[in-house]
Amino acid sequence: MTGSSTSMLEVADLRTQFATPAGALTAVDGVSFTLERGRALGVVGESGSGKSVMSRSIMRLLPKSNVSSTGTVNFDGTDLMSLGPKELRELWGPEISMVFQDPLGSLNPVMTIGRQVAEGLRVHLGVSKKEARSTALNLLREVGIPEPQRRLDEYPHQLSGGMRQRVVIAIALACSPKLLIADEPTTALDVTVQAQILDLIQAERQSREMSLILITHDLGVVAGRTDHIIVMYAGRIVETAPTSVLFSEMRHPYTEALLRSIPKIEYASHTRLDIIPGSPPDMINPPSGCKFAARCRYASEQCSTEEPPLVAAGSPEHQFRCFFPVGSDEGKAALERNIAEGRVSETGVVIGEIGG
Amino acid sequence: MAGSGSAHLRDDQQPLLRVEDMVVNFAGTGGRTVHAVSGISFDLLEGETLGLVGESGCGKSTTGKAVLQVPAPTSGSIQLDGVELTTLGPEAMRRTRSALQMIFQDPISSLNPRRSILDVVAEPRYIWWEEEEGRPPTSIWFEKIGALFQSVAAVLLRPVRMVAPLAALAMVLWVASEAVEDRALEGALAWLDIPARIVGFPVLAILVIALGALGVLGLVWLLAAAMVPFGAVSRLVGSVSAGVGVAGVAFALAIAVYQFAVTRSSFGRLAHWLTTGLLVVLAAVLAIWLVAAVMKPERAGASGVAAALAAFVLLQLRYIASQDGTLWGDAGDGFLGLGSERPGKLLVLVAAVAVDLVIIRVVRRRLAEQRAAVRDRVEPEVRRVLETVGINPDNALDRRPYEFSGGQAQRISIARALIMNPKVIICDEPVSALDVSVQAQILNLLEEMKREYGLTLVFIAHDLAVVKNVSDRVAVMYLGKMCEVGDPDRLYEAPAHPYTQLLLSAIPHPDPSIDPMGLDRLDGELPSPMDPPSGCRFRTRCPHAAERCAAEEPMLREISPGQFVACHFPLVGEEGA
Repeated sequence: MTGSSTSMLEVADLRTQFATPAGALTAVDGVSFTLERGRALGVVGESGSGKSVMSRSIMRLLPKSNVSSTGTVNFDGTDLMSLGPKELRELWGPEISMVFQDPLGSLNPVMTIGRQVAEGLRVHLGVSKKEARSTALNLLREVGIPEPQRRLDEYPHQLSGGMRQRVVIAIALACSPKLLIADEPTTALDVTVQAQILDLIQAERQSREMSLILITHDLGVVAGRTDHIIVMYAGRIVETAPTSVLFSEMRHPYTEALLRSIPKIEYASHTRLDIIPGSPPDMINPPSGCKFAARCRYASEQCSTEEPPLVAAGSPEHQFRCFFPVGSDEGKAALERNIAEGRVSETGVVIGEIGG
Repeated sequence: MAGSGSAHLRDDQQPLLRVEDMVVNFAGTGGRTVHAVSGISFDLLEGETLGLVGESGCGKSTTGKAVLQVPAPTSGSIQLDGVELTTLGPEAMRRTRSALQMIFQDPISSLNPRRSILDVVAEPRYIWWEEEEGRPPTSIWFEKIGALFQSVAAVLLRPVRMVAPLAALAMVLWVASEAVEDRALEGALAWLDIPARIVGFPVLAILVIALGALGVLGLVWLLAAAMVPFGAVSRLVGSVSAGVGVAGVAFALAIAVYQFAVTRSSFGRLAHWLTTGLLVVLAAVLAIWLVAAVMKPERAGASGVAAALAAFVLLQLRYIASQDGTLWGDAGDGFLGLGSERPGKLLVLVAAVAVDLVIIRVVRRRLAEQRAAVRDRVEPEVRRVLETVGINPDNALDRRPYEFSGGQAQRISIARALIMNPKVIICDEPVSALDVSVQAQILNLLEEMKREYGLTLVFIAHDLAVVKNVSDRVAVMYLGKMCEVGDPDRLYEAPAHPYTQLLLSAIPHPDPSIDPMGLDRLDGELPSPMDPPSGCRFRTRCPHAAERCAAEEPMLREISPGQFVACHFPLVGEEGA
């Protein structure tokens, strides 16, 4: 996704820090990307990789105290970082809207579904009460809620998890936003419902020509549903590429490890899964060098002292941050050396420290 | 599809767990019945993993819990190692449950946030270590008596709680009327002369009466509270020998006789007998508790401490009252006897409570010492299980569950399940709340634990790919019924049930060349379990449903070796068999 006149969202050097008693925690560290009109971007990473904080930084949804966010976020010609609270409120809904992970937590339990869907229409578009209700009815029908007329007067607790998420999507779509940010929209749901919800988001995006940022920890979720993918680790972009390129020519060991840890239906039962050992680094005192080195099977001493820059692979659209990329001769040599030194097992699982 | 039947049970291979025709119904709104599980059967051979798959609301978690009898199923048979669990008594079931452990979906909320990891993991051993050491046979009888006491106390407590405020009000009215008659209250309040002049006598009188009412209310509450721990006390005694129990009862009787001999009542003969009888019971509780608590402090819980305190206070109040027949003291002595030259009754009471508190402190300290001793004995075991699940015990033992990430907390939950060396572990969506990378760690760990401990697992999940990875046999459930049972590889290669196939197509593929929009989708929602469809329960969402499906419920039948399906029109032909 190169910058061009059709770009909807341009994020440059976004950096978000939280002030904690133990020191400054850098949750997002110099993230830059561009999203074109009508395209879908997938953001993938583990818990704590900074993907949710990044989306909230773009939306300017983070609390004011103890948080500092720098960089530029250009949305459709507007610099979001310079907007005041009143302007932001006008932006949320008609311009950008968001779908969160927990549908029950994002709905008001004491307000009917009809009123919650109509609220944005009444506030932002100033339509009459009656008109808002009929639009809400159409929206509920559009997101596939059976008996929408009856549901308008029901409360969130009367709906199943999948139906609640459909209502949240209806609210998000009510004012026809140009950009929808879906933050783990299906993590709390069953696989069957997950598939229904993802299909719904995709169908709505295509019919409305809306841009989409889909945040998830599961590469399987973004594979067939996005145009471009960003893989995040420790607040940084470690690999970014068009979706088909990422899966066919992945370069970063973290992307590879994420993909290999998914249990695949084609595997025979009791297949041992390739795990990513350990957990993400401490973001208050991050390790020097590559943040993934301690968990990486290709890592060598260079990785723990020197931070690899984001470099292009093949096309300028495909960038990654690694000295020993997957599939390269350097990568193969590094893996063989690690296996020979006993740091990595024969099956490619990290078992020791770098240089140990 | 989605039917009943037991063709897939393997009775010839002596299953470890055998569930047949299990039904779980709950009471729904408006007098209707929720048919959560409707006649399912499955079995588990030793060392096997059974995967239970289905959507939310299909009854898979209810099935897992019904095996543990929480709650017990409405009907059907559950056999563990040949023992029928549905007919076991509560105590026998409690013992059996230590062989049936559970791992839950949300690891953080299934661990007590206020306790250290050492205590969290060791808790089952704290409960069971004494049982394992063997107990005197007489203890069983004490426990039975205790259970009887407890149920009687439960019945008594409810009216006592309701009557308490009324009793307090009646007491206040009675005291007030007496005071008006003898002008005793005025005398009783003599020492409050100065404050009375400031705020006025009526205000002060109301205040004092209100305070008195509070006191009476408190007493009634203490009495009610003292009745609850009868069961706990008898269990406590049950763990000590019969000799101690007899000694305790003898001591209690001695106190009772003394009480009866020295007291003279101003309340009349019947009241005298009643109050003395009550005190005998309380004194017995107190005495037995004291003796037992000193011998086995680890069994004396906080409720025992409260009961003993209540009994002490009541005994002393009674004693004070017996001196001159009044609780509040003579008018000439001033309020609570503070005006007299003899030590005031209030002072006697305060001193007695202080002595009680000292005794309780001593018992508490012994309790803590005993706990520490048990902890020291269990700690090596806790360290060993924590190490096997990949948690470093040196860093973890003193920390609390919230200091760990979701994956680490799930490892700790697994350690807690392992410490009792269970026969069967029921894993209820153990990886659904975790990231894919952590999910892989936990799945691998479960496989390792299964090899190391020879575990038999029931693995409940909604994701077929996850279930396939760990299972030896997979059972697909829909709305309280079994759809398909079989070997995981066969089930995935050639699903026979349309529901199995739709579940398979819902799994996200990490492959951009597959267009997810082009796949078959399961439309609509699960029908209400209060009003399940006739015949095959899946027919309302099934792409292949025909008239026969509404009329006739399909039974599980074998369509290829080891693959059973409950469907009239299976996707795989029977000629494959």
